[in-house]
Amino acid sequence: MTNTSAPCPSFGELADYWTSDITPADAERIEAHIFDCERCARMVADADRLRDGIGALARAGSIQGFVNDAVLNRLARDGVRVRYYALNPGESVRCAVWSDDDVLVTRLRGNFAGVESVDAEMRLDSGEEWAHTTDIPVPEGATELVMALPAAVVRTAPRSPIRLTIRANEQVLAEYVFDHQGAIERAPSSNDRE
Amino acid sequence: MSTCDDGVVARAVAATDADEATAAETELYRRFAPRVRLFGLKHLPDRSAADDLAQQVMLVVITRLRAGEVREPDQIGSFVLGTSRMMVAGQRRGERRRAAIVARFEPFEEAAETPNDLALDSRRLAPCLAALRERERTIVLLTYYADRSATEIAAVLGTTAGAVRVSRHRALASIRDCFEARMAS
Repeated sequence: MTNTSAPCPSFGELADYWTSDITPADAERIEAHIFDCERCARMVADADRLRDGIGALARAGSIQGFVNDAVLNRLARDGVRVRYYALNPGESVRCAVWSDDDVLVTRLRGNFAGVESVDAEMRLDSGEEWAHTTDIPVPEGATELVMALPAAVVRTAPRSPIRLTIRANEQVLAEYVFDHQGAIERAPSSNDRE
Repeated sequence: MSTCDDGVVARAVAATDADEATAAETELYRRFAPRVRLFGLKHLPDRSAADDLAQQVMLVVITRLRAGEVREPDQIGSFVLGTSRMMVAGQRRGERRRAAIVARFEPFEEAAETPNDLALDSRRLAPCLAALRERERTIVLLTYYADRSATEIAAVLGTTAGAVRVSRHRALASIRDCFEARMAS
């Protein structure tokens, strides 16, 4: 039991305090509350564990989704082994995942001007859907989307061409083909990675 | 004792004979040391410094309670916070002096960060992160992994900082619910 009379902040507000993403006045108010409220102090500890947990996942190469250079820079600083590909619309690339890869990143070039969000669909040659993501945020004036996949996930993909279609408002904006050669065990040469 | 008011615990410590450690002290420590440690994690450079701060602050608080130097035991939270702030300010002044000396006379080797032993179980967290909407996951990654503020993320996504915070709060609530459900199962 605690002796606070102020209302408890939400978990989101406490997490914002923890990342210092609030005004100094709000930080001071929340800090004072935490010292009066054991429950909220425990929630701040949860926010700390969440941040560490997300960092641990990223360092383990378990990031999946559309990212940007800020995330890629952090991966590089953390020593995460990233294999890069880059494709223009309509292009196909022979690709594979090596045994020492952690994350595969593809720069999907294209004209995304005027688009706020897109959907992405990946299908195998057989027509079977392999992955589907909706409402991917597109930065204003973007000329590429950066897709990150854990190497562990790509290793489970069949050796088959995989077609990636990017749509906005049901209209196809771009298509790319990954001619997936499967998981390769040999250690790659130093030229294999960007 | 474990369910009573913080002020009741503080008054019980104040009434303690100085020669004996009591259940009240243990309870006060149990309640406040984690909060001081969190304060230290936020304001000091590493976890070991935060651990030290928690020990030092609680020693001062208990000593001053016993000596009758805490005028309002019912406001013990404010007293612990004030003590924490003073000690962190003192440590920072000392750290600045130390850094200036080190920079002058010897190469500085940064202490390694101790990992958070209590970091959320990755196996349970991964599916919770994967279950987020793409926009929310992007915001969570940029916040917690790339250390970007809501304002910086808003600039990247072409939205407002307020909208980023709303999405982030929703994402965090989802992750928390998902994680707790997986812990329970």
